[in-house]
Amino acid sequence: MIAIHDLVKHYAQFAAVDGVSLDVKSGEIHGFLGPNGAGKTTTLRMIAGLLKPTSGRIVVNGHDLAIAPEAAKVSLGFIPDRPFIYEKLTAGEFLRFHAGLFGMNGNGVGDRVREMLDLFEIGKWEDQLVESFSHGMKQRLVMSAAFLHRPQSVVVDEPMVGLDPRGARLIKDVFRRMSERGVAILMSTHTLEVAQEMCDRITIILKGRIIASGTVSELLGMASNADDQLTEVFLKLTGGGALQELDEIV
Amino acid sequence: MVPFTYLLLPHLWSARNRAQRRERGDLSRATLFGGVGVVVCAALFEGSFWLTGQLEDYAELGDYLLRLGLSWLFMTFLSFLAFSGVVTALSTFFLSEDLRLLLTTPVATRRLFLARFVRTLSLASWMVVIFLAPVLMGVGRARCAGLAFYATSILIVVPFAVIPVAAGTGVTLLLVNVFPARRARDILMLMGLLFAASLVILLRFIRPEQLLKVESLPDLTAFFATLQSPITPLLPSFWAGETLFASLRGGSDLLHTAALWTTALASIVVLGAAHQRWYFAGFSKSQEASKTRFTRLRGLDDVVGALPLSVVRRQLLIKDLKIFLRDVGQWSQLLLLLALVLVYLYNFRVLDLERIPYMSGFVKNIYAFVNLGMAGFVMATVAVRFVFPAVSAEGAAFWIIRTAPISLRDFLWSKFWTGLVPVLLLTEGLTVVGNEFLGVDPFLKVMSALAIVFMSFALVGLAIGLGARYPRFDADASQVAGSYGGVAFMMQAVLFIIVMLLLLGWPSSLYLFRQVRRVPLTVVQRSLVVLCFVTAAALSLAIWVKSMRDGVRALERMGG
Repeated sequence: MIAIHDLVKHYAQFAAVDGVSLDVKSGEIHGFLGPNGAGKTTTLRMIAGLLKPTSGRIVVNGHDLAIAPEAAKVSLGFIPDRPFIYEKLTAGEFLRFHAGLFGMNGNGVGDRVREMLDLFEIGKWEDQLVESFSHGMKQRLVMSAAFLHRPQSVVVDEPMVGLDPRGARLIKDVFRRMSERGVAILMSTHTLEVAQEMCDRITIILKGRIIASGTVSELLGMASNADDQLTEVFLKLTGGGALQELDEIV
Repeated sequence: MVPFTYLLLPHLWSARNRAQRRERGDLSRATLFGGVGVVVCAALFEGSFWLTGQLEDYAELGDYLLRLGLSWLFMTFLSFLAFSGVVTALSTFFLSEDLRLLLTTPVATRRLFLARFVRTLSLASWMVVIFLAPVLMGVGRARCAGLAFYATSILIVVPFAVIPVAAGTGVTLLLVNVFPARRARDILMLMGLLFAASLVILLRFIRPEQLLKVESLPDLTAFFATLQSPITPLLPSFWAGETLFASLRGGSDLLHTAALWTTALASIVVLGAAHQRWYFAGFSKSQEASKTRFTRLRGLDDVVGALPLSVVRRQLLIKDLKIFLRDVGQWSQLLLLLALVLVYLYNFRVLDLERIPYMSGFVKNIYAFVNLGMAGFVMATVAVRFVFPAVSAEGAAFWIIRTAPISLRDFLWSKFWTGLVPVLLLTEGLTVVGNEFLGVDPFLKVMSALAIVFMSFALVGLAIGLGARYPRFDADASQVAGSYGGVAFMMQAVLFIIVMLLLLGWPSSLYLFRQVRRVPLTVVQRSLVVLCFVTAAALSLAIWVKSMRDGVRALERMGG
């Protein structure tokens, strides 16, 4: 599980994240939505250990990230929006290196690496250099790395970017299967249909503050029209009414 | 948990994979750079061997000078290593892309520190080790030193490199916690280059050649006192020099060896503790530098706006100039070049050719050609570093050009004119001022000035054309300059300069020789002189036009 309490991140005078609290339970897929610049990626990067919070507390699977960062990270998988992969390594080499970072060794590593590559349908490129991969293939490789060490919690920033429909379906299936096995997933996305379809709970953030949180049906209950989808609710909450002026501009 | 050396594996595997999958130009690049490296190392070996041999003739004074020389050698490398440590640590500890991966994994901070420090140490010190090795081998060989000397050399080089690099890394840790990392890098680059440029100018302006004059001998004591003054027993450079000197004489200096090793180990321990305490805060800060201050350069819009250019060319020029001027790493390198040019011109200014009156006229005119050749090489160097990467500099944003209603011909010619003006002004200034200081024959002055114009068109055209044929949109400017296309450009540029010097040198010398003898040129000779000049001009124009045409075609083919 992932729990954050009163998380604050200031860039000089600007509050990118301002008192955010969240609780992602075991087996839950939690959608983290918000317009560009709302503070989603900053929050996720703090949970992953890439940014130091100005204040607040992050607990991953019972370990406080500030006190026991290694223990917290060992059971966490992170899929960033702009992942780094060593371009001159092969997919197999990259995953084996990644396994080592999480303390996985022995004969089982090779089997686990192949298992993950096959799961994400890039098994036949195991011995190819990453630099020759398309964006979608790199995305699949990063997902393979994130799930390689069987994490109990996963943080995902924009998982569907660059994936073809088959890849997107695959990711959805993997996420569902993982949550059924008790993995807590915190997922940021701009694809509201994906969030509506997959998430058990959704939190909407705007200008660094949480403005709404609840199950999909609870959020849909905020809509003025019974036929409204999550997109309409999202636009209503985040000030998307300005879109109506488009005709005048275009 | 994994040992810290595990974190170095991706770099080793990447290097192995890179070596196994050779890319075009690898061989020529390795041959060129390897060849230059071997020549430099051989020259250093021979130089130190010769100098140490000469010093041996002066008994105790020779020993004193050798000891002083070793201390100076190590002190120079010490300052280089410290500065290199600061700059390298910024990349390895804070700006390196793979940190975004490693910091999300359960790697202990101490292991990450050790792995990054080893990487910083190797990146910051490999060049020093490569240059130090032949120098020490030359000294050892000249003094017929035993194996113990070479073993001692290896034993002291490691801690000697560790101490300044650790100090540099500590400074970086401090800087990044105060400034954003990207800002700190710019500040450091600028400071370092200003320091190097000032040092070059200062060393030249104290005119060390005066010491070779007999009338300067009474000043020698003062000179040695000056040399001795910056050497202090508190610096690792002194400890390294003393240890090696003792070893050279067949003894050992355990005190200074121990000082080197204990200080090196202590600096790692202290730095490790500082890293544990402040690294994450610094790294986190380095990720926050998205809103750095920048110069708006509004005056540039007005200046370029006043030029008689089409809207497209005007906007391309404004874009190129703003990107160049806002990137401190790019333009600050020009400062060092400017310092070298000043020293170069100063050399001509103080050249005392009147000491050999019967030769002065002849030598002056020879120097005019040396000046022309040097200007050509400066032109080639500037072109490969700043003009050749012009197309590649578009990087991932090249799609904007490709999808805009601009012809690729217009785009490439815009790049050409942007590159030509500064290159022509720099090298023409260099040639005219150099020839003026020398007082060469008016004929040579005009010929050199014209030759520079033609050579600038040819070399800038060649650089732009080859840059368009071999673009590297994924690399930074210095990597582009060292790529296959960059090496190919340098080879062709050097060949072109040599051919031009031959084509201009022979008829010029014939003309001057006849003028001195007051014998007019025969019709055949006159025809040959004209033919050489016309060939040189035609060759320049042909290279210019063909390179640009090939470049445009290559860009058009890129679309398919």
